[in-house]
Amino acid sequence: MDFSFVTFFLVKGLEISSPIAFAALGGVFSERGGVVNIALEGIMTVTALTLVWGAITFHSVWMGLLVAVITGMLMGLIHALVTVTFKVDHVVSGVAINIFAVGLSRFLSQSWFGQETQSAINSRLFPDLLGINSLAFWLIPITAVAWFTINRTVFGLRLRSVGENPEAADTLGVNVYFMRYAGVIISGALCGIGSATLFADKWISGMVAGRGFIALAAVIFGRWNPIGAVLASLLFGYADTVRIVFESRIPIPVQFIQMFPYVLALVVLAGLAGRARAPSADGRAFEKGEG
Amino acid sequence: MRKRGSVRFTLLEGAAPFMGFLASAIALILIVILLGEDPGNALVAIWKFTFLTSAKLAQVLSVSIPFYLSGLAVAIAFKAGVFNIGVEGQYFVGGFTAALVGIYLRVPPAIHIPLIVLAAMLGGALWASVPAILKVRRGIHEVITTILFNNIAIALVTYFVNNPFSGLQKGQSLEPQTRKILSTAVFAKLNGLFRAIGWNVPDYVYLDYSLIVAVVFGLLVWFLLSRTRYGFEIRAVGTSMDVSRYAGVKVNRVQIGAFLASGALAGLIGLQEIFAIRGFYTYSLASGVGFDGVAISLIGRNSPIGVIFSAGLFGFLRQAGYGLQLFTRVPNSVTYAIQGLMILFIVVINEVMVRVVRGLRKKEVA
Repeated sequence: MDFSFVTFFLVKGLEISSPIAFAALGGVFSERGGVVNIALEGIMTVTALTLVWGAITFHSVWMGLLVAVITGMLMGLIHALVTVTFKVDHVVSGVAINIFAVGLSRFLSQSWFGQETQSAINSRLFPDLLGINSLAFWLIPITAVAWFTINRTVFGLRLRSVGENPEAADTLGVNVYFMRYAGVIISGALCGIGSATLFADKWISGMVAGRGFIALAAVIFGRWNPIGAVLASLLFGYADTVRIVFESRIPIPVQFIQMFPYVLALVVLAGLAGRARAPSADGRAFEKGEG
Repeated sequence: MRKRGSVRFTLLEGAAPFMGFLASAIALILIVILLGEDPGNALVAIWKFTFLTSAKLAQVLSVSIPFYLSGLAVAIAFKAGVFNIGVEGQYFVGGFTAALVGIYLRVPPAIHIPLIVLAAMLGGALWASVPAILKVRRGIHEVITTILFNNIAIALVTYFVNNPFSGLQKGQSLEPQTRKILSTAVFAKLNGLFRAIGWNVPDYVYLDYSLIVAVVFGLLVWFLLSRTRYGFEIRAVGTSMDVSRYAGVKVNRVQIGAFLASGALAGLIGLQEIFAIRGFYTYSLASGVGFDGVAISLIGRNSPIGVIFSAGLFGFLRQAGYGLQLFTRVPNSVTYAIQGLMILFIVVINEVMVRVVRGLRKKEVA
């Protein structure tokens, strides 16, 4: 095992971890504000497609990224509208958005590219750095910014307060609805960036392949903390990298190696039980003037 | 208990699914217009593919069977406050264990068919058991564990179908699949029976034993939930865990039971496709049916009777999608997007209705 292989493994692992990590950061923003977001998966499914559309239409992959971030925010807005304003159960809304996202992305792909299950090829890629999509390296500064925003800014304090005790926050004059909307919309934007790190040269139906759900496990494992969530995502991402790199080299059936990240997530969650504590008002509706 | 006006309130609250359906129908028509298609044409296409002939109607019923079982599986868990998103994985594993019994056990049909149903339920319940225990004993939310188990299930059955249980000869380039099920394991069609009573069901439609399975288990779940002590406990736990615990209900045991029952029902979803339509097991069975179950259960208000209608609605939408695809320029995928929209509409309208009714009640009291 030479030096270049180690570098390759480390860098490749970062690339594979980043979609999960960005989605997990999104999950942290949403859940610290008190909104459970299992729509991460569906949001990424749609943004992965709008990214390709944006890149092809505007002849620039950066415009594609912008389009993806905006669509992510719009999808987040739907989730916020349904859960915060209409107070529907957060998991129910998330499941509905995930189902909606599958249909919507296929429909859009059909209308834009004439095929339901994959888009046209987009030749404008993000620049390479050390052989991977350079966007993956954004993970490091964005994680730092996320940590700072949540733990060291007034915005972060307010966000956490509406996730822990919305009634008290309301009494102190914090606009609970606004903060919760903000948390969910930020999580949509981060899903947009996450799908951009997933992106190769086209969109394929089902390409998100459960990463949004793994990201949720990472949020819990990382104890709703941005840095913890990213570290947990790296754990899952590198477990997956082990699978990809060693699939052909060890005599274990490939399917068992495929299970590895999921089994790892389960073991981690089972071992963690009781020690992880969600924000107190996570998943709970807030009604101004009640309670 | 019944107060004045309560019938009207119940009606208002119960209207949510219909209003949600209407709202999504309007959304569909708008999309059709946006695509530059005549909505009249689209409606005719849908009509032709769903209600025009008794054959098409039978087809809607046929495709509704897995939807019904899936909705029923999610519903019984929901009733106990358990969110089983693992129906998909339980359906894959349950179908596989049933297929093994169908392939390797040599017994007469009268014994074989019930054993297959049993094996399907056992496999599904087995796959639900670990998330159930993790939820109750370690407090890990079932939404996460069941999703992970879905992914593990798909990898596992893919392995089984490719390796130890592959039914392909060397050099055959078909999709990986198991050996064929024995002739005693085939879920025969009941079409002749329907024709005898005057319903002209053509041969290409699958109204097979799985229809009986769906009816029987629908009745059983209905009876369990509304007529037994255990069903009462399930509903009590689903309504309020704290109150149930106070009243001496063993909440953990009830939730584990409902979770396992949900998994067992999920195991039945694949019976039609494996034992009536394909005659072998493969991992590319209709995917997503388990997730559709969540929507079907919600739209049917988690009741074994309500789920009949919502499963029928999904069967209708599925066929309507084919009709649109065939006769208009509207792609089939539209109906999938509409399904998601419909759930959102229904849950939102439901919440609004609950609020409206609460407001009306307050006014009445005042």
